[in-house]
Amino acid sequence: MAESESVASINRRVFLKAAGVVTGAAVAGGIPGIVAAQKAPSFPKGTRLSILEWVSFVPASDVEFKRLAAEFGKLAGVEVTADLINMNDLNPRIASAIETKAGPDIIMMINNWPHLYADGLADVDDVAEEIAKRDGGFYDISRRINMVDGRWKAAPFTMGSGVWNYREDWFKEVGANKFPDTWDELRKVGTALKKKNLPIGQAFGHSLGDPNSWAYAVTWCFGATEIDDKGKVVINSKETIEALKFTVAFWKDCLDDGGLAWDDSNNNRAFLAGTISATINGASIYFVAKRQFPEIAKAMNHAHMPKGPAGRFYYQGGQAHGVMKYSKNQQVAKEFLRWFMDRPQYDKYIAANDGYVGGPTPYWEKHPLWEKDPKLVTFRDAPKFGRWTGYPGQPSRKASEALVKYILVDMYAQAIKGMKPEDAARWAEAELKKAYA
Amino acid sequence: MAVQYGSRLKRAVTFYIPLTCLLVGTLFPFYWMVITSIRPDVELYSVKMNPFFTLHPTLSHFYYLFELTMFPRWAWNTLFIATVSTAISLFCGLLAGYALARLQFRWAPSLGTVIFITYLVPPTLLFIPLGDVVKTFGIGDTPWAVILTYPTFLIPFCTWLLMGYFKTIPREIEDCARIDGASRFQAMVRITFPLAVPGILSAGIFAFTLSWNEFLYALVFLASPQQKTIPIGVFTELVRGDVFYWGPLMAGALLGSIPVALVYSMFVEHYVTALTGAVKG
Amino acid sequence: MADQRIEPILAKSAASGASVIPAPIVVVAVPKLGRPKGLGHLLERENVLAGVLLAPTLVILTLFIAYPFVLGIWLAVSDKVVGRPGNFVGLHNFWVNLNDSIFLRAFQNTFVYTFIATILKLMLGMAAALLLNQHFRFKRIVRASMLLPWIVPTVLSTLAWQWMFDATFSVFNWMLMNAGIISQRILWLGDGTLAMGCLITVNVWRGMPFFAITLLAGLQTVNPDLHEAAEIDGANAWQRFWRVTLPLIKPIMLVVVLFSMIATFADFQLIYVLTRGGPYSSTHVFGTYAYEIAMRAAKLGQGASISLFLFPFLLMVIVFQLWYIRRGD
Repeated sequence: MAESESVASINRRVFLKAAGVVTGAAVAGGIPGIVAAQKAPSFPKGTRLSILEWVSFVPASDVEFKRLAAEFGKLAGVEVTADLINMNDLNPRIASAIETKAGPDIIMMINNWPHLYADGLADVDDVAEEIAKRDGGFYDISRRINMVDGRWKAAPFTMGSGVWNYREDWFKEVGANKFPDTWDELRKVGTALKKKNLPIGQAFGHSLGDPNSWAYAVTWCFGATEIDDKGKVVINSKETIEALKFTVAFWKDCLDDGGLAWDDSNNNRAFLAGTISATINGASIYFVAKRQFPEIAKAMNHAHMPKGPAGRFYYQGGQAHGVMKYSKNQQVAKEFLRWFMDRPQYDKYIAANDGYVGGPTPYWEKHPLWEKDPKLVTFRDAPKFGRWTGYPGQPSRKASEALVKYILVDMYAQAIKGMKPEDAARWAEAELKKAYA
Repeated sequence: MAVQYGSRLKRAVTFYIPLTCLLVGTLFPFYWMVITSIRPDVELYSVKMNPFFTLHPTLSHFYYLFELTMFPRWAWNTLFIATVSTAISLFCGLLAGYALARLQFRWAPSLGTVIFITYLVPPTLLFIPLGDVVKTFGIGDTPWAVILTYPTFLIPFCTWLLMGYFKTIPREIEDCARIDGASRFQAMVRITFPLAVPGILSAGIFAFTLSWNEFLYALVFLASPQQKTIPIGVFTELVRGDVFYWGPLMAGALLGSIPVALVYSMFVEHYVTALTGAVKG
Repeated sequence: MADQRIEPILAKSAASGASVIPAPIVVVAVPKLGRPKGLGHLLERENVLAGVLLAPTLVILTLFIAYPFVLGIWLAVSDKVVGRPGNFVGLHNFWVNLNDSIFLRAFQNTFVYTFIATILKLMLGMAAALLLNQHFRFKRIVRASMLLPWIVPTVLSTLAWQWMFDATFSVFNWMLMNAGIISQRILWLGDGTLAMGCLITVNVWRGMPFFAITLLAGLQTVNPDLHEAAEIDGANAWQRFWRVTLPLIKPIMLVVVLFSMIATFADFQLIYVLTRGGPYSSTHVFGTYAYEIAMRAAKLGQGASISLFLFPFLLMVIVFQLWYIRRGD
């Protein structure tokens, strides 16, 4: 354990040197302009910066975030407070803040929220472009979800992905030495596993994470989309019906029948209890396994979404930081974001996350921590196959409505419950038309 | 002999059995919560283990709650907020309930209606414009933001309930006192109010519990961790994405309710005594 | 002189069916009271006293709810989204709702949920109140522990129930399977109808203590002498309950039922935590659906119209209830 730690730290120093930053001077190079010019902090005394974030399932990264925030505060002579709450409870806080024009200066934006709240967010083109130039560009999906009408409304922060978590040992027992590459292969393996009472688990309930990971990704893998690039609803297509038929068959053959009631947390529990053999999930299962169920951590691994007729796709999200338009501290906020996303700081933050989130640019794929635990590599590569709600259109407010009404998820759920695929597709078409109207 | 046996059986059937069923139904989830809060994590994730007891009880979840979150602070906040909002609401509700139940004046029906109509707009809709009001008064992120907004849903109910109680107290008693020379005000305070004590205690218990329990306003108006109440603090900090920290969650639920129940157990007896005394004269 | 005063009171009270409080109270409780003078004189007038008594309430409600209330109604007839000013659109939102299959399902669910839960709470609460109204050894502890479901913060107790209904870990499944009653686990929250049943169960579990306590307090105001008199007259327990107790606690019962109904109509937290409106949108109620639309799709106007869909209906119910209460005068 100790050896690999020191190897990692040597690698990190080499990495930083190669990136042109000498460790000792890392802090001094932190705040562009201010400290480098040896000027006193240019913010009026008593300035306060407040940030609203989600709580991460990696408690260590929250600790690191707060530490970095405090460090910035000391450097800039500003009082920084960070409030961390459950992801689902961010929406009412944001709505209230925008409407009353008072609240935190920086708020985390998840997935396509920049589109939703565009009117309340300040432009952050300067910060985003600076990061892009330094790191060599953002992922396409980062651009899509954070740029509204050509302007950056939030600075991309991290990419969290939901990939396949599976039990390597059980897959080997039924003859799969690596995770199947296509959906048909996965179905064969899953059938064998379910016969041994080790089904695959998938949520089809009403929560924003795992159920959508299936509903959108499978739809895309089979070549269907919600709308076309002109905004017309095209969900009622033979590709969708194929996807539905496949899902219903997969449900019967491979899936745990509790799935209709599952939210984001049920598959975690089931996997850790050993009642399912595979599921789509972020890295939270592995994280808990490493700490509490080491035998499961040893026996499990991660793999990419299987390929369908149209390819391999993820329902991808991303996290970003928005600067609120009502904020009186926009300058400070932008300085904070610039500083945080820069080499030494962001490097520490990514390290604290232990690989459970990736950076928003391909640059951070080179971070040595990805070599520390090869099981996390899938998370690093997932953004390449990412698509957003409303593909191929914009991840707009209308796409949000479709998401929030769980139209795609319910389409699959109803088909599973017995609705004919043609009827389910027709139902989804009618609902989507209303959302995209 | 036969009579005794008969009435004992009768008592069992009409009293003890129903009471036991009621108690089991009510308290079963608590038993489960208690067990969960002292079970080690490994057992919580096991499907095969008996969920009703554990051989390795642990206090680590309670430790987690106290050391790694600001639970004691939240408990204090919640207590303070609930007590003050209850006091305000009871005060207003008592006076308003009396006025609407007893006094004849021109605006009585319309005012009564107006107070209750405010009840029809649910908090899930009101919280945004209320946020505006809170901001205007500059009380955001302080306990006063919720102390002054909770009465908006506590007062209508307290008023209602007390109106109902006042209705069961015959007018004649006050009239009698006034014939004796008491002023209307004195009759109200010295005669009617004491007779409504059970109602006041009921309304108080209700108001206190609703404040204790409230989620949405506290979520939106209280921002810093030091200001949070128990439901907000425990829920938002122990449900991290899709990982629920069950042990501390249930520990928080228990610690957030048993002390209150103990206090209630004292009040519940109080109003019985007050009334028993009144009835016996 | 004392007798002269009391006789007419007793007669009048008995006639109006109100509970009779023995005379000694009246006599004992009237200490030396003086004549009103000055301000006291002013307070003799009903108008003025009413004004003074209602002032605190009106002040708080005006300051904190008048504006939000009006704005809430305005939102329902506007197309407001977060961050942008809204425009008046009349009843467009309501029309959209009526054409929304999820909304119609939520409409049905809200009524079913509210009516069934309220009836169950009333019956069970009444039964509990009758039981608790008697003397027995651990009375104090039992009464206090009855209150626990009501006291625990809703979010937390609902989480516990969620785990108890969990597809994989349900303690009910464990019990039923080990008792041999079922061989396949029941997916409590995986079927639309079953999930509604679970929601109603949790709501009744949580709300029944409140009914019990309030009705208990009401029962306490019923003079046991009345019961004795009725028993002597030959009434059995059921008749005593129906003819003596029930009419006397009707005002309180009505208040509690009405309040609980309105709160249950607007219920949000319980369903949000237990099912979020799933599976496949089959357990949405007004509260949860409105929240999803307003908060996650940022359509405040549309969300408001869902919340307030029943506003006219509830308004009528309240007006009726108020008329009924005041009718007692």
